[in-house]
Amino acid sequence: MITIDRLTKTFGTQTAVDALSLEIPAGQIVGFLGPNGAGKSTTLRMLTGMIEPTSGSATICGFDLASQVIEVKRHVGFVPESGAVFESLTGLEYLTMVAALYAIPEAAAVERIRQFIAFFDLSFETLTEKLLGAYSKGMRRKVVITSALLHNPPVVFFDEPLDGLDANAAVGFKALIQSLAHEGKTIVYSSHILDVVERVCDRVIIIDKGRLLLDGAPDELVTSHGTGTLEKLFTQLTGGEELERRAEDFARTFRQ
Amino acid sequence: MSSPPPATHSVPSSERVLRRLFLTLFLRGRTSRGTGQFRKKGGPPTSVGRKLALVLGFYAFFGLYSLSLLGQTVFVLATYLHAMTLVLVGMYVASSAGEVLFNKEEGDILLHRPIEPSVLLRARIAMLVQVSLWLAGAFNLVGLFVGIGARDGGWLFPLVHAGSAVMEALFCTATVVVVYQLCLRWFGREKLDAFMTATQVIVSIAVVLGGQIVPQLMLRLEGTTLVSVGDWWVAFLPPAWFAGIDDAIAGSGSGNAWWLALLGVAATSGVVWLALSRLAGDYQSGLQTMSESAPRKPRRGRRGLIDRLVGVPPLRWWLQDPVSRASFRLTASYLARDRDVKLRIWPGIAPMLAIPFLIMLPSGGDADDVMNVAGVGFGAAYLGLAPLMALNMLEFSQQYQATDVFRLAPMRGPAALTHGARRAVLVLVAFPMMVAYGGIMLLTGQPASALVMLLPGLISLPVFAMFPGLGGHGVPFSRAPETHKGAGRTLYIVGAMIASGVVAGISAWAHSTGWLGWMLTGETLLALTLYFTMRATVQRAKWGSLE
Repeated sequence: MITIDRLTKTFGTQTAVDALSLEIPAGQIVGFLGPNGAGKSTTLRMLTGMIEPTSGSATICGFDLASQVIEVKRHVGFVPESGAVFESLTGLEYLTMVAALYAIPEAAAVERIRQFIAFFDLSFETLTEKLLGAYSKGMRRKVVITSALLHNPPVVFFDEPLDGLDANAAVGFKALIQSLAHEGKTIVYSSHILDVVERVCDRVIIIDKGRLLLDGAPDELVTSHGTGTLEKLFTQLTGGEELERRAEDFARTFRQ
Repeated sequence: MSSPPPATHSVPSSERVLRRLFLTLFLRGRTSRGTGQFRKKGGPPTSVGRKLALVLGFYAFFGLYSLSLLGQTVFVLATYLHAMTLVLVGMYVASSAGEVLFNKEEGDILLHRPIEPSVLLRARIAMLVQVSLWLAGAFNLVGLFVGIGARDGGWLFPLVHAGSAVMEALFCTATVVVVYQLCLRWFGREKLDAFMTATQVIVSIAVVLGGQIVPQLMLRLEGTTLVSVGDWWVAFLPPAWFAGIDDAIAGSGSGNAWWLALLGVAATSGVVWLALSRLAGDYQSGLQTMSESAPRKPRRGRRGLIDRLVGVPPLRWWLQDPVSRASFRLTASYLARDRDVKLRIWPGIAPMLAIPFLIMLPSGGDADDVMNVAGVGFGAAYLGLAPLMALNMLEFSQQYQATDVFRLAPMRGPAALTHGARRAVLVLVAFPMMVAYGGIMLLTGQPASALVMLLPGLISLPVFAMFPGLGGHGVPFSRAPETHKGAGRTLYIVGAMIASGVVAGISAWAHSTGWLGWMLTGETLLALTLYFTMRATVQRAKWGSLE
């Protein structure tokens, strides 16, 4: 479903993603992990056609990212970390606008939107009466997730999708992505909430400084490294062990 | 497995959807704070579109000036109308194009959708052209009918002039877009930000030169307000090309008019072709640059310079309050570094900075002549508006939400922040311009005695600079850019221009009658009174409510 071959992105002298190669089959939920600045968002932005790779190649649903980028975009959904929306549109205006960009007729779009808002426990009135700028962060995130799934894409990229969602919505969302995977969709899920990744994902990919560090099933990785939890494995791999000492140093500055 | 729906013909095209989207965003603003958040039952959401109607009304009122050209030839009337249209449309396009064409927030929403960059570009240009046409239409409304009564005019004029105005709006918009695309092509994506700003400043100045200043130069060169279609130099003026269309079809129909018309049609076709076809590929790479989130190293030199400036007298004495000093640093850093602020401020005040230099160009007469001296006075007074404009614009930023940190700080009101921003603008914008103004004045042959005419403008400068801080306003970067649009701001600026014109007029009169010394004393006393009264008001101001 997704094939990445030595995908690289450099910004000036800085290499954000360094010759990343992966194969992700259909129906898999992949946790895409890494510390801040590891290159996760840059990778997702390349795979969604938002930025051009410096070198390497990728195909999504058989479409080449370099030469068939519009087809790639037609087959992917993306929830960016920023959760940006047009704040001066109502939720319904925004979602029907997005649907039109995927050539979904308005009646069909509204029907799908109704299903999504029922799932997310939003009222249709809120969607039609209120501008997105007046939505809470969680409500806005629900609209962004809906906009990524409206066109029923076979591949969905989530960049920190739980940001702003309340506990119930987060539980519902986890159930949603598992259902989507059962439908055969490929889910790439980038998050810092490692216990969620551990519970939801079939496979975990950890990158740091743009390079692939680890790739495998979460329980297998945890067992083979003997760390007990994914969180401990992650900190071990990405140099996070010093965090406790640094926190103590930081707290000491208040005592001076 | 399910797959995306196939494209159908029962839905509007992406381009149409995007055109509607961008127009809606223009009318409502891109963010909601300060523009109203709720849709009223049965009506549209609170919108800057309502304010736009007032702006259009103001432009239509401004267009009444063309009545003074009743009885002139079609070419003279049309040159005036097209020159002013070029200024109004050019200013709008130059100040909006950066945000419309390369909006980073929009990148996250639209760039992963299946939209061809050329479609995105066309939709954005269409929105710019549409708004340009509204502005041009409002300004030219009266002129259309004045043309019927022109010496060689007739009933054909309104139709032809409407067509040539549309062509001029297209020319203007496409030219700005081409300039951006050429910057992308020649200087690359990495330097786009810096060049976009520089480009807008240059375009703004060029628009002012091409549209507003040229008639003044014509006055000085020919000793008359009339411009003739037979003059060789009119071929270098874009407004004359479009006036040529009017004159060729609805006026004299002379051979020169046809040549100018041909030039206008060729230039418009050329830039539209370049913008939408030849250079469209560069737009895609520009969009991708906006999406790249690689950290950029701050330019140490500038920050170092600001720190050094703040650390030495007299700025160290002037910025003793730590909040004002921090606000000064923030403002100075953003003036030098932030793309959004640079794109808003420098193009916005560029004409303010350019016009005084042109006003004081020697008229060819005696250097001591009354018009020259008055011109210096008017130029200085006009330049005094630059900090007012800059401070007014500095209040708006795409990062306005970050300034909530000011409200969280233990401060009773925004006075200290306002003072810091005001001082930064005075030091970094107004002072260098005044020095350059004086220098150029001497270089262009003005007598040293004319330097005294800078004083009325200089004296009024602190008063104008205090205005934006009244009523709890003037906190740098604290309001959404959308709240910036509207008639209120235009009227505010026009009011300030009238005030500066009055100061300059009185000083010119006082200079010619030998009363300048008394006038300066009176102005100083009045300025001090106003300054301290306004300063006390600013000090007392509390935080306004957040909508």
